[in-house]
Amino acid sequence: MNEKLTRQDIGGLIARLAVGGVFIYSGLVKALAPAEEFAFAIESYKVVGPQLALLAANTVPWVELWTGLLLVAGVFTRPVTVFIALMLVFFELLLGQAWLRGLEITSCGCFGAAGSNSLGQEFIQNLALLLICAAAFKHGLGFSADRALEKHEA
Amino acid sequence: MIDTRTGRKLALSAAIIFFSTLAVLLARQFSLVPDKPAPDWRNFGPENAPVKIVEYTDFACPACRHASGKIDEMLKVFNGGLRVTFKHYPLLNIHPWSLHAAAYADCAGEQGRFKEYADLLFEGQEKWGLAKTMPGEFEIYAKKLKLDWPAILACSEAPATLKRLKLEIAEGEMKGVSATPTFFINGRRAVGSAQLIDQAMKFDNILRGAAKP
Repeated sequence: MNEKLTRQDIGGLIARLAVGGVFIYSGLVKALAPAEEFAFAIESYKVVGPQLALLAANTVPWVELWTGLLLVAGVFTRPVTVFIALMLVFFELLLGQAWLRGLEITSCGCFGAAGSNSLGQEFIQNLALLLICAAAFKHGLGFSADRALEKHEA
Repeated sequence: MIDTRTGRKLALSAAIIFFSTLAVLLARQFSLVPDKPAPDWRNFGPENAPVKIVEYTDFACPACRHASGKIDEMLKVFNGGLRVTFKHYPLLNIHPWSLHAAAYADCAGEQGRFKEYADLLFEGQEKWGLAKTMPGEFEIYAKKLKLDWPAILACSEAPATLKRLKLEIAEGEMKGVSATPTFFINGRRAVGSAQLIDQAMKFDNILRGAAKP
């Protein structure tokens, strides 16, 4: 591979691996556990009913896993990064409304139901991930499948 | 019209999605999913025992009653070498009171008498298992063991108790449990007491070696 890496490329690659890794882990932990477990966590936000919570619990972990893998591999890097950032914004809104309403949430459902940080900690963690997403969007093409395909065609 | 580059990216994405989905589904199918811990009162035998059995059971199922006796014998014989974890898997479509029984047994467990209550449930399953109305046996057994029945009733209706039971059923479903009793002996599946004994024989040397004299 003759790709000449710049510092920005390396930073972008690390950003992709960081955000993608978190999403792969988060999706895998939940996809390997009963969906009902995550559904209970979703229900505790008191935004949707049990049926919709179960539907979301059956869907979201897979989406997290797939988008995480695509980001790590660097396929459709920018659209995938935007999609992940939108998911993070949505998670922030859920966490924020729960915090404002003073809901008692024992497990945020972020990384399965085994344990959870406080809402505040999860909120800050997601903010940090959003910032890293910005770096992945701007400089995330280093060592990506997208760039490899571009070179292949050139 | 999709250009070649986009087509290749789409093909790569599809491959990533396909293989990752397949890997997760296979991990589920082969029970590579880690077990959720059961409450202390449903664990028997030392935590570091070399052979661990996880049993999915239903108090109204006759085969489970039979298996319960076998498990008790094994725990006596291989004391120290075996740990048994009891998980609820009430077959709701055929046993209308199994979920209640499971909840009451757990609540008896909170009062320190899970095993005794479970034994009474198994012994009397013909009396309450297919009752048309709420069986009185649940209260009779609690009183026989001098348990606080109002506390058991309150506990059985608590969201935490119901949540624990529902998650255990979901875990069983995910592991492909469709009949009771289903055992996982160091991860190997066995259905019914005959398969349990057959599988356990494979661990006989380990069990005997670790058993306390």
